[in-house]
Formats: sequence, C-alpha cells, structure tokens
Amino acid sequence: MNRHGQLLLRYLGPQAPQASLMGLLLVISTAFQVAGPRVVRGFIDAAVGGAPADSLHRLAALFIAVSGAAQVLRVLAAYWSEQVAWVATNALRLDLTAHLLSLDGGFHKTRTPGELIERVDGDVNDLAGFLSSFAGQLLGGALLLLGILVSLFVESPVLGTVFALFSAGAFAIFGAVRRLAGPALRETRERGARLYGFLGELMTATEDIRSSGAVQYVRGRLIGHLRGWLPVAVRAKVWENLVWTVALMIFAFGDALAYGLGGLLYRLGRAPIGTVYMVLAYTALLAQPLETIRSQLENLQQADAGIARIGQLLAVRSRVVDGTAAIPSGALTVDFRDVHFSYDEGQERALDRVSFSVAAGRRLAVLGRTGSGKTTLARLLFRMYDPQDGEVVVGQVPLTTVRLASLRSRVGLVTQEVQLFQASLRDNLTFFDPRVPDARLSEILDQLGLGPWLRRQPGGLDTPVSAAALSAGEAQLLALARVFLRDPGLVVLDEASSRLDPVTEELLGGAMKRLFEERTVIIIAHRLATVGLVDDVLILEGGRVIEHGARDELAADPASRFHHLRRAGLEEALDS
Amino acid sequence: MRRTASPPTSYFIGRLIAYQPWWWSGDALCWLLFHTWPLFAGLLAREFFILLQGNEPARLGLPAIVALAAALGVSRAGIVFVASIANGQERFRFRALLWHNLMMSILRRPGARALPGTVGEALSTLRDDVLNTAEAADLVFDSAAAFLFAAGGLAILLRVNARVTLFVFIPITVVIAVAHAVRAQLTGVRERSRQATARVTGAIGEVFSSVQAIQVAAAEELMLAYLRRLSDQRRLAMVRDALQRLWVDAIFRQTADLGAGLVLLVAATQMRAGSFSVGDLALFSTYLMQVSDFTGFLGWLINTYRQSGVSVRRLTDMLQGEPAARLVEHLRLPRGGTTRSPVDGRGGDPVGRPTDAEERTLRPPDRLRCLEVSGLTYHHPDSGRGITDVSFKLERGTVTVITGRLGSGKTTLVRTLLGLLQAERGEVRWNGELVRDPATFFVPPRAVYTAQVPTLLSGTIEDNIRSGWPSDAAQLNRAVYGAVLERDLAEFPAGLATVIGARGMRLSGGQVQRVAAARMFVREAELLVCDDVSSALDDDTEQLFWARAFEQDATWLIVSHRPAVLARADQVLEMDAGRVLGTCESRES
Repeated sequence: MNRHGQLLLRYLGPQAPQASLMGLLLVISTAFQVAGPRVVRGFIDAAVGGAPADSLHRLAALFIAVSGAAQVLRVLAAYWSEQVAWVATNALRLDLTAHLLSLDGGFHKTRTPGELIERVDGDVNDLAGFLSSFAGQLLGGALLLLGILVSLFVESPVLGTVFALFSAGAFAIFGAVRRLAGPALRETRERGARLYGFLGELMTATEDIRSSGAVQYVRGRLIGHLRGWLPVAVRAKVWENLVWTVALMIFAFGDALAYGLGGLLYRLGRAPIGTVYMVLAYTALLAQPLETIRSQLENLQQADAGIARIGQLLAVRSRVVDGTAAIPSGALTVDFRDVHFSYDEGQERALDRVSFSVAAGRRLAVLGRTGSGKTTLARLLFRMYDPQDGEVVVGQVPLTTVRLASLRSRVGLVTQEVQLFQASLRDNLTFFDPRVPDARLSEILDQLGLGPWLRRQPGGLDTPVSAAALSAGEAQLLALARVFLRDPGLVVLDEASSRLDPVTEELLGGAMKRLFEERTVIIIAHRLATVGLVDDVLILEGGRVIEHGARDELAADPASRFHHLRRAGLEEALDS
Repeated sequence: MRRTASPPTSYFIGRLIAYQPWWWSGDALCWLLFHTWPLFAGLLAREFFILLQGNEPARLGLPAIVALAAALGVSRAGIVFVASIANGQERFRFRALLWHNLMMSILRRPGARALPGTVGEALSTLRDDVLNTAEAADLVFDSAAAFLFAAGGLAILLRVNARVTLFVFIPITVVIAVAHAVRAQLTGVRERSRQATARVTGAIGEVFSSVQAIQVAAAEELMLAYLRRLSDQRRLAMVRDALQRLWVDAIFRQTADLGAGLVLLVAATQMRAGSFSVGDLALFSTYLMQVSDFTGFLGWLINTYRQSGVSVRRLTDMLQGEPAARLVEHLRLPRGGTTRSPVDGRGGDPVGRPTDAEERTLRPPDRLRCLEVSGLTYHHPDSGRGITDVSFKLERGTVTVITGRLGSGKTTLVRTLLGLLQAERGEVRWNGELVRDPATFFVPPRAVYTAQVPTLLSGTIEDNIRSGWPSDAAQLNRAVYGAVLERDLAEFPAGLATVIGARGMRLSGGQVQRVAAARMFVREAELLVCDDVSSALDDDTEQLFWARAFEQDATWLIVSHRPAVLARADQVLEMDAGRVLGTCESRES
C-alpha cells in the first residue's frame, strides 16, 4: 500500500487543483444520490397515509430531478478524473522510458525489447486504467457508502451500526481473498510477459526461421509456452472471480439482514413501512459502492503486480553512474590505463591490463580476431560499461567523472549492427528531432557521397525507411550520417566499412578523409583494407594488447605481428 | 488493400465456439442461470412487503424469507465459481488458437516482409485484439441471457400491473433506443483513440528495439520528446472518447431512476386506493434496478461486438491477404486425428513434425543438378527499387558469387529467389522442373540461407544451431567446425549449452554470424545461400571459414565482394541497379 501511496502522491500531487474540483463534484453528486430513497420513503408514507395526489406527484417529480442531477455531476467528475489520470500515467511512462534508457549495457543485454515494451506499455496501461477509475469510482464509491451509512444512522443508530459493521466485515473478507489471489495473478502476468517476449523475437527473426526450415520448431516452442501458461491462466481466473463469488455471498447476507431487521422493526412498531422500504433500498444501493470498491481493489490488484514490476525496474540502478564533468571541444585524446574488464563476475576477462594512448587528431586501427575484445573497447569508450579496474580517459577527463550526455555527444560510434526506426529517412537521421533543417541533412548526405542516392529516393527525406528495404551497406551509411551530424571530436568505427562493396567503400573513403580532419579516430577493423586510413595500429589478442605502434614502422619491421598479418592477408590488402 | 470480402464477425465467433464446444457450453449454462437469478429476488421482495402490509394472504413467513434470500445468494456464488473454471479454459484456448494461427500465418509470409507494421504494433494486436476477439464468444450466451431475463421480467410485471408496466416501459424504451443510436456514432472516436494508442505503442517499440543506437547518439531527450508528443495526442483522444462514453453511460444508468420516478407518478393514485401495494412497488423497482444493469449490459454487449469487429479486422489484416477464415482454422495434427487445441497434448510428440521438411534427405533424382533462374523481378513497394529480369544458371558443386555496389539488389535477388520476397515475375527451375512455391521449396534439405544480419532466438547455442533439425553429435560437431566456432565454444562457460541472452546480445557480431552459419551447415542442404556471411569476421577467421566451407560437398550461392571468395568462384554475377551486368566464368585454380 505504501508503494501505491508514493506513486499516487508523486504523479497526482502536481494536479491537486483539478483533483479537488473533481472531489467536490463527487461529494455533491453523492448527496443527491443518497437523498433519492428518502424521497421515496416520504412518498410511500404519504401514499399509504392517504395524502392528496398533488403532493404525491410533486414528490415523484422531485425524485426524478434529484437523481438526474446526481448523474450529470457524476459525469463531470469522471471526466476530470480521466484527464488527471492520463496526465499522470503519461508522466510515469516517460519517466520509466527515460530511466530504462539511462541503464547500462549489462541491463539491456539481459532483457528482450518485447519484455520492456510489455512493462512500459502493458503495465503502465493497467495503471492508467486504475488511476482513471481510482478517483471517479473508488472515491465515489467510498463517498456513497459513507452517505448511505450516515443516512441509516440518522434513521436508527442500530441500523447504522449494523450496516457499518456489515460493510467493514465485507471489506475485511475482500481484502483477505485479494491477498490470497495475488501470487496467482502475478504468475499469469509473468507468463504473459514471457510469451510476448517470445512472440516479439519470432517476429524479428521471420527470415531466419523460414529459410532454415525452423517453422515447426518454433511452433513447438510456441505451443510449449501456451501449455505452460494454460493452467496458470485458469487458476488466476478462478482466484480473480473468487473475490466476486465471495461478494455475491456477502450481498445475499446483507439482503437477509435487511429483511430480518426491517421486518422486526416494523412488527415492533419502531418503523413505518416507508422506512422499511428505504432500508431495503439502501441495502440494494449499498451493493453498488461495495461492488465498485471491490472491483476497483481488483483493478488495484492488477495494477499491484504492475506497480511492483515498475517499482523493480525503477529501482534498478545503472552500474554506470553519471558524472558532472564535460568533455572539451576539438579533437580528443584517448587513454586506456591498465583497464580490466569482464562482462560478468567471475567470467573470463574481456580486457586484461589494457593500456594505450591516442593523441588528439591521430587515427588508430584496432585489429584482432573476433572475441579479442575490440568491441568491448568501444563499449567502454561509451561507458555502456565501466571497467572493474583501471580507467578510461577521454580528452583528459576520466570517464567515471564525465556527464554521459556530454561524452556521447562528443564521441560518435558506428556499430556493427545498425538499429533503424520504421520511420522516415529524416527521423532516422535526427532521432525525431523536428528542429534539424533539411539543408543540413542534405549537406551531410552529400559529404558522405549519398547525395545521388538521396535524390533517387521517391520521397526524398520523407521516404520511409525499413530494415527490409535497405541493404546493410546503406544502413551503415545512415549510421555514419547520424554520427557526422553531431560533429564529434572522436569517432569510433566498429567495422564500419565491413559490409560495403568496393565502390561505396571508395566513395566513403573520400568523404571520411574530409570528416576525419581535426578529429581523433579509432577504427575497429577486421580487414587490412581499412588500415590504409590510419596512423597507428594496435593489435589485441585474448583481451591483451600484443602490439601497438606507428603503422609504417610496424609494417617495415619483419618481426612484427602486423607485418605477418599483412603478408597473410596480402592478396586482400593489395586488392583494395 | 484487401479485395476479398471478409466473413462477418459472427463467422469468427461461430468458428471459435465450434472449436471448444464443451467448455463454451458449460460456461454458457452457468451464465444463463446467473443472469436470470434476479427475477427470483424481485418476487421475494414483493412477498416480504405483502407479509408486512397484510393486504393479501402471505405465502411465506419472515424466517423463510430471510433463509431464502441467503440461499439465493449462496447458490448464485456457486454458479460463478463453476463458470470461472469453464470461462478461464474456454477463453485461454480461444486465445491460444488465435495466437498460434496468427504466428503461423506470419511465418508463412515471405520471410523478409512478414509484418504489416512494426513489431510493437503487431504485439499490441496480439495482446489486445486477440483478447477482444476471444471475449466476443461470450456475447452469444450473454445476449441470450439478457433476452431471457427481459422477457421473464416483463411477463411478471404485466401480470402484476399491466397499466403501470406499459406507462413506465414505453418511455424508457424510447430513451434507451435514442441512447443506442447515439452510441452507434461513437465508433469513429474510438477508432481514433485506438490509433493514437497504437502510435504510442509503436514508438515505445521503436525505442526499446534501438536502445543502443539511442544511447550512443545521446538521443534520449529527443526520443522522449517524440514519445511525449504522441502521448499528448493520445491523451486528448482518450479523454474525448471517455467523455462521450460517460454521457451515454449516464443516460443508460438514469433509466432505472427515471423508471422508478415514473412508477411513482403513475401509481400514486392507485397506491392511495390500495390497488398498487408497497410490495408491487418493491417488485417494480427491483426489476428497474436490473433494467439499468441490463441496459448497461446490453450496451456493453453491442459495444463489445463492435469492438470485436474492429479487432477481428485487425487480426485478419495481419494475415495480409490469406483467406480470413485461416484465423480460426482448427488445428489438425498428422497422426491421431484432430487435436482440439494447441494446448492439449496427444502422445509424446505434441508438435507433429519437428522440422518443416517432409524428409530429411532427398531421393537421388531430387538432388540438385542444376538451378535455372529466368526473368526474376521484384521491386520494394516503398522505394520502388529492386531487381529486374535477372537470369542465371548454376550447376551442382559450383560456387556462384553475386557482387555489385551498394543497393544494387544483391540481397533482394537472393531473398526473391528463396521466396523470402514474393517475385513479381520470373521463374526458378530445379533440375529443369518449375518451382511453384519457392518459400516452401527452398528449405532444408534442399536449400538453406544465412542472412546478412542473422537473428538468433533466446536460448542455448545448441538450440539455435539445431532449431529443431534432427542431428547427431557428430553432425553438430561438423557444423561447429565448419563455422569456425570451436574456439569460441571452448571459451564459453557452458559450451554449446551456453544460453545466449536477449536476441543473442552476449555474442559479438562475428559470433552471431558463425552460429547462424553452423545452423546452416548442420542442415547439410544441397544449396547453400549466404549473404555476406563473413562480413564481421577478422581476416584469419574468414580465411579459415571459407577454406573449411569449400571443403563441403555443396553448391554455393554467395553474396560477397571479398577477394577471398571471388577467387574461388566458378561464376561471378555483377549487379548494378537491379540488373545483372555481366556473368563471368572465372575458375582459375
């Protein structure tokens, strides 16, 4: 309950004026609603007592007016509560997204996008449902319940007390059942998240599944997921409805109580028949707030599990702690000082005592076979992870003290796998920033030799980009354009040119030369072809630096590893 | 887009019911009983006031009335309990069938263009629209129950006091009819708010599929601003939707009070005269309270039916041109006749065939001798680019390399050939025989493909390599060796059993490519097609990879411009702007 309180306070607090207006509307509408049965009581006693038809008709008209006014006010209150709820959940959704985007690579490698989508979309939506009905219904229900009990108490303290106890008992029982139902509901949601995560994976892997003849295999896995979930889902359904089942029994008990008490009071001469009628009307009306509050508590239960999971996510602290220092402008120096790093505790080191420096404006090629730690090097430069020991320094600023936004706006990275949005070319380049002028985009694309390509696009910058329609080479070029748009002082290319055909590689080579001017460059290269662009070479093996020096010197030294590599790959080196 | 007329929503509901008739019937029976229960409650209230007022001979004493009231409630609770089990089973099974059929349909689509929109949008449809459709099956018995209750209640009231009944129910019916007419206008608003919701879901999907790109570009704020814009649009749409819904709901709710007020007006004189008792008033207002629930319920039914119409349309849209009836096609497994649900096992192997192939090995005459491609044409609908009139021929045991500049159509060519994109024109012949459906034909053991950027599933490396292909340890080891994966495996904590995390993120780009290559090799297919499979490999590994690759008895079609591969080519196809510029025979060795 504490969790909910905090969450409500944080997101509803800023909207206190709207919330109080809504509260006021609810109070008035409840007063009208409670007045209804009292009017009917007056009518019955007047009719049985033989009052004139005129006054009976007036009472009937009054009843219609009072109940109509109650409805209108309720609508207005509910409208405000919707408004308040959407403002609050939108804020939460954005906060959660911002938080998840701030988490380090270690977190993201263990979560599927589908799972995070389910959290940010599914769970937050449940919360929206709960919030929008919270005020309008839970609060309205509570007010109506209070109104009925007060009205009964005024009539007869005995009646008021009995029904107050009855209501308290009902809630105690609801609460108990609700607590018991919790685990089953949590489990079914968890199964759901797992299934959606799996479906999301399937949908991104359709090409692989089709072409390797694995459709039946994934079908088997899908069925496995469904089979695992079925008994859990049925159990959750039973638990969910058990609260309702119990509610029906409690209402039946309430009816029996009203008949018994009403009958006795009448026979004892303590209540006229109109009052007995009113007691029954209130009992029937009582079912409404009890039911509302109960079902809202059930919503709360749904939101409960969601809030718990959202809370867990919000509690995940990035292992990369943001600093305050800024990266200077201009070309940047890079220093790795005795860096140790492994992805998981106890796992083999991805980087082992790595030390090297790159002077501002120099270009370094990092060579090494797959798994030698080249990509890890880039990840550390971007603080997707922090090293366990030693430090990485960029522009003379140790990265552990640097503000991430400053680092990442001064350092550009092109990764092996380019992540594209299903959106226009413009949005893919600008990350949906509407402020970047088209002229600047065209200029960048021209510099990259993509000018003719851009003019071939049917919609220009508005052309929708989809991973399927774009060759991987084009995707890489877009990634380069993204980087150059931000004018970084250090560029890290992780196999940036590995998928380009020779013609494009040449085109790009020219553009790169211009863009590399006045910038420090680290190329994580798998091929010797790229090495033509650099000043220095560093060779990694098993996470250690085994060679580092000026390219020309190493090339000239027949004992060097680089020399050996060049000879082994000579054919290829000459070819391009 | 869709030209064929889709069957009405009721068809899909009917097929779902026919799929699980027993669970559905049990559910139906329970809810029929449940909804007619209040008829007894009204009669009981009337008996109570007759007993108090004494103007008619009472049939029940006070203790009997109290006991009956309690008993009615307890038995109704029992009904709900039984209904929960039936309902839980029924609804989950409906959803399971829909999920299964939708996913199978997606996997039947040309693999490179399987989804109509983003993964996020598709997931939102799989979650919400599948649920809406499954729930729609309850509408049948819910509306039957509503009708039964209405008819029964009206009959009782007419017998008690026909004049009051007519005076009250005629105006109420008019109000309800008007409210329904208004509600019918609301679909447009609902559709708008749903679209706004889908856009937000889509944007969230984009954000979490590209976390790394966003982080390294320091574009968090920009993405959040984008999400904020969409969220605000959605809020406006949702609140507008809610406001309209609230007004209509208020009118429905108001009917009970309006009715009660009318009873008071009409019965005032009769009550003074004693011809309309307090018991009658209690009966009328009990039923009238149900009328408000009932009209609300009726509105919910109509709304749900409409909503399910929208949902069914979204689901059939996901089928992208397949007959809409496949959405609710019942499952049939090859042996043991029909299985009613994907969640019920029959015997040891629930899945039927573990692989897509009819047989693991081909009969000698079916083995590849030559493959001829003529006039193959495909253009991307978005960009208009693609391949035009591509023809070539390849022979058993040869290496054919497709090369060409960026965007020249190399990847499109292999995708179209394999049916991962649906060709507009052209034909492919296997040993001279026309391949009618390339997408189902070019699977192992005939052909296998490794994409430029392969995708792995969460699971162990071994699961990813086998992906259901039956293979013994020796075959698996051969595939691992062929993919130059053995050194990496030796370094992994659990070797082949190492679980790779979300989308294989734990592996480097080169490792992902080689796991995918092992997945290709283990299938021992006749024709191996790969798109730049060694692009993320370092030179040493790449040399080793191709050296081992060309030792295998296979026919190769490779997209590459690596000299190492070109040197081994028997034939090189150079592409430009979607056409083959030239073919050169280049076996030098």
